[in-house]
Amino acid sequence: MDLHALGACLTTSACVVTQTTSGLIVGMLLFLVAAGVTLIFGVLKIVNFAHGTFYMLGGYVAYTTLGVTDSYMLAVLAGALSMALFGVVFERALISRVYGSNVLMQLLICYAVVLIFDDLVKIVWGPEFHAMGMPQAFQVPPLFIAGGVVPPFYAVLIGIAALIAIVLGLGLSMTRLGKTVRAAAINAQMVSALGVNTTLLFAIVFAVGGGLAGLAGALAAPVRSLSPGMGFSVLIESFIVTVIGGMGSIAGALASALLIGLVRGFGTIGFPQFTDGLIYIVMIAILLLRPQGLFGRRL
Amino acid sequence: MKGNRRSGTRETAIAAVALLIVLVVPFVHRSPAFEDFVIRLSSMALFATSLNLLVGNTGMVSFGHGMFYGLGAYAFALMMQMTELSLPVAAMLAVLFTTVAALCVGAICVRLSTDYFAFITLAFQMLIYSVIISWQSLTGGDQGLRGGLPRREIFGFDLASQLHLYQCCAVVAVLGLLALRHISASPFGQTLRMIRDNESRTGFLGVVLWRARLWAFTIAGGFAGLGGVLAALFVSGAYPELADWPNSGQAIFAVMLGGINSFLGPVLGAAILLALNDAVARVTEYQGLVLGIVILIFALGLRRGVLDFLRVAWSKDSQ
Amino acid sequence: MKLEIRHLTKSFGGVRAIDDVSLTFPSGSLSAVIGPNGAGKSTFFNLISGAFAPDAGEVLLEGHDVVRRSKTERMQLGIGRAFQVASCFPSMTVAENLMAAVTARLGEWGNIVRRFPPPGVRERAGEVMDLVGLTHVENVKAAILSHGDQKLLDIAIALALEPKVLLLDEPTAGMGPDERWRMIERVRRLWDQRKLTLVFIEHDMDIVFQVASTIRVLCYGRVLAEGTPDQIRNNQAVIDAYLGKEEHAA
Repeated sequence: MDLHALGACLTTSACVVTQTTSGLIVGMLLFLVAAGVTLIFGVLKIVNFAHGTFYMLGGYVAYTTLGVTDSYMLAVLAGALSMALFGVVFERALISRVYGSNVLMQLLICYAVVLIFDDLVKIVWGPEFHAMGMPQAFQVPPLFIAGGVVPPFYAVLIGIAALIAIVLGLGLSMTRLGKTVRAAAINAQMVSALGVNTTLLFAIVFAVGGGLAGLAGALAAPVRSLSPGMGFSVLIESFIVTVIGGMGSIAGALASALLIGLVRGFGTIGFPQFTDGLIYIVMIAILLLRPQGLFGRRL
Repeated sequence: MKGNRRSGTRETAIAAVALLIVLVVPFVHRSPAFEDFVIRLSSMALFATSLNLLVGNTGMVSFGHGMFYGLGAYAFALMMQMTELSLPVAAMLAVLFTTVAALCVGAICVRLSTDYFAFITLAFQMLIYSVIISWQSLTGGDQGLRGGLPRREIFGFDLASQLHLYQCCAVVAVLGLLALRHISASPFGQTLRMIRDNESRTGFLGVVLWRARLWAFTIAGGFAGLGGVLAALFVSGAYPELADWPNSGQAIFAVMLGGINSFLGPVLGAAILLALNDAVARVTEYQGLVLGIVILIFALGLRRGVLDFLRVAWSKDSQ
Repeated sequence: MKLEIRHLTKSFGGVRAIDDVSLTFPSGSLSAVIGPNGAGKSTFFNLISGAFAPDAGEVLLEGHDVVRRSKTERMQLGIGRAFQVASCFPSMTVAENLMAAVTARLGEWGNIVRRFPPPGVRERAGEVMDLVGLTHVENVKAAILSHGDQKLLDIAIALALEPKVLLLDEPTAGMGPDERWRMIERVRRLWDQRKLTLVFIEHDMDIVFQVASTIRVLCYGRVLAEGTPDQIRNNQAVIDAYLGKEEHAA
C-alpha cells in the first residue's frame, strides 16, 4: 500500500490525466463486455458464463484478420461480426435447448464451452502469448494533455467505445426493437404474450451481446496481449460490473464499468499489489449498502 | 412407512460395510493406482456432496464452492507447516476456519436474490483466489505451498505411507458423508427442501429463510473445507488450482453427472469424473476440450444424473 | 379468537389498494369477503397475514395489535392462511408436506440433530390429513395430486400450524360446480370442528350466500357494505356496484 504515491499522483495533473485515460480504457472495454452480460441476463435470465469466451475469440479473430488483410478496421469488424454470429449459433445450438430447465444445465453448458474454446485456441493459435501491435496509423507521437501522456490510439479507443455506448443507449430507448428488449427485461412472458417473436428476440440479444464482446476483444487486442483463458478475468470483472450496476441495467453497467476502470487506474498507484482485491472490496461494499446494485430495481 | 430411527441405523450399516470393503481391498491386492484413486475420490466426494447440499437440497446454485475447498487445503497446510499442532488438531482447526469463512461470505451472499447468487459466489471465489496468488509471502503465490507437510502421523499411522493415507481418507470421507446424510435427513434438511420447492410458502410456515440458507451455506462450506484438507494431505501441500474456478465447475459437473436428487449421486459423479479425467489425461493434453464435449453430450443428451436416471427407471418398473 | 382491522391502508405506486378499511370478525365467525376483481381482497389478506406491511392502520388479535409483527410471529399467534393458487411442496408427498408444516410449527425446522420427522409429528400430521380427507393420497407427491386435492393440501398445511384465525383465498378457485360444493362443505366442517374464526374470499355467490354468516363487500379498496346475507342481498350499493353487473352479464 502506497498512499503517499497516490496522494502525489492526485495532486499532479499529468498523473491524473494518464491514470484517468488508462482507467477509462479499462472501463469502456469492460462496459462493452458487461453490457452483453446484463442484456442477456435481463432478457433471458441466463447467466452467460461463456461471455468471456466471446471476448477472447473476438481478439484472436481480429489478430488473424489483421495478419491477412493488414487492415485494423477490417480486423475490428471481423472480430465483432464473427462473434455476433457465434452468439447466435451458441444460443440456437446450445442454450435454447435448456431454456426453462435447471439453471445448473445452463451453467454446465457455458462451462463446457469455455473449456472447449480455451483448448481450441491453444490448438489453433498456440498456448503462447500473442501481441497484436499498434495499428500503423497510430504509431505517432503521443498527445500531451495537461502534462499527461495520452497515446492517440487510446483516445480513439475511448471514443469508439463511448460512441457504441451512446448508440446502444439510443437504440434501446428510441427504436422499436430496443423498447421490446427493455420490456422483455422487465417481463419476458408478457412480451411473448403480446405476440413478439421471442425466438428471434433472444437470438438478436445474443447477437448483440456476442458482437459487443467480440468488438471489445478486437479493440483491446493492440493494447493487451492475447492468450488462451484470457476471457475469464474479463468475465469475472464484467460480472462484478453487472452486479454493482444492477442486473439488467445498461446505464448501471456503464457507470460501474467506469467506476471499476478508475479504481483500477488509480489503484495501481496506491495499491500496486492489491488492485484486483480493491475491486472486490468495492463490490462487497456496494453490495452491503445497496444489494440491488447502483441502478437496480429494488428486489 | 419405515421408522426413521431404523433407516438411520440402516444407513450406518451400509456405510460400515462399504468402509470395511474399501479397507480390506489392500490386504487382498495392492494397487497403487486404485489407492490413489480412492484417496482423491474421498476428497472430491466430500466436496461434491457438500455442494449438493446447496444445489440439490436447497436450490442455491453456487459457482464458487471451490473457494472453501481451497481455503481448507491452505489453512491445513499452513497450520501444519507453521505451527507445532498435531495433525488432527490442525485438520479440525482448518475445517473450523473454513466454516467461519463460509459464514462470513454467506452472510453477504444469501440475502441477495437467487439470480445474483451464482455471480456473487464466483466473484468471491476469485477474490480468495487473487489473495492466494498475490499474498506470496504466506501462500507461495502461483507456485503454491511447497516443501511438504511435516509430522504426518496420526495415532501411529504414518500418512507418508500410501496405505495409511488411504485408510485415513476412507474413514474420514465415510464419516463425513454420514454426517452430511444425517443433516440432509434431519428436520433442517427437510426445511432446505421446502425452500427449494416453494420459498414463499416456507416463509409463511415460520422458517426464517435467510437464516436457513446461511446455515446451509456454512455447513456446506465446512464440509468442502474437510475435502480440501484431504486434498492437501494427498498433494502434501496446497496449490492455487485447488481454489480456482475450474475446480468449482468440476464439482458442479460431478453433482449433475451423478444426480442431484440422490444423496450418493455426487459421490458416483465424482468417481466417474475422476476416472474420466485420468483416462483423458493419458490420451491427450487437451483435457478441457474432451471434458467440454463430454459435458455437452451429457447436458444435451442425458439431461439427468446417473443415479436419478436409475431411480426413475426403477420406480417405473416397480409400478 | 377475534380479528379486528382498524383503518388499514396500503398504496402501491399511488394507487390505494386498501383504503381505510375497518372490519371486525368475531371469534368463531364464518365470513366471506367478496368484491369485483381488483377490489383489494388478496391484498387485504396479505396485510393481515403480514406478507406486506400496511402504510397505516392496525390489525388486532384479541385486542392486541400485531401490525408490527412479522409473518412468522403472526403465524405463531394464530393467523393461518391458504393461497389462491394452491401453494404446497411439489416434490414431497402429502404426508411429508404436513409433517414439514407441523415441524415448522413446533419450531424444530432448524434442528440438525434429530431425524425427520421428530417424534409425535407423524401423528399430528395424520390427524390433519384425516380432518381434511387426504389420507387416501398420503404417499402421493403433491405435484401429481388433482387440483382439488392440491387446494385441500394447501388448507391442510395452514391447519397444521394450528391457527385460530384462518384466511382462505378462494378455496374453490378453478373447480367445477360439484367439486366447489364438496370443498366448501369440508371448509365449513373444519370451521365447526376447530372452532376457527374463518374468513374466505369467494366469487361464487351461491356459495357465499349459503355458507357465510356475515359478508363483507370490498370495492376499490374500500368497504362497500357488510352484513348478513339477507342484508347484502338487498343492499342497493352492492347491487349497483357488483351484483347488478353479474346479473347483466348472466
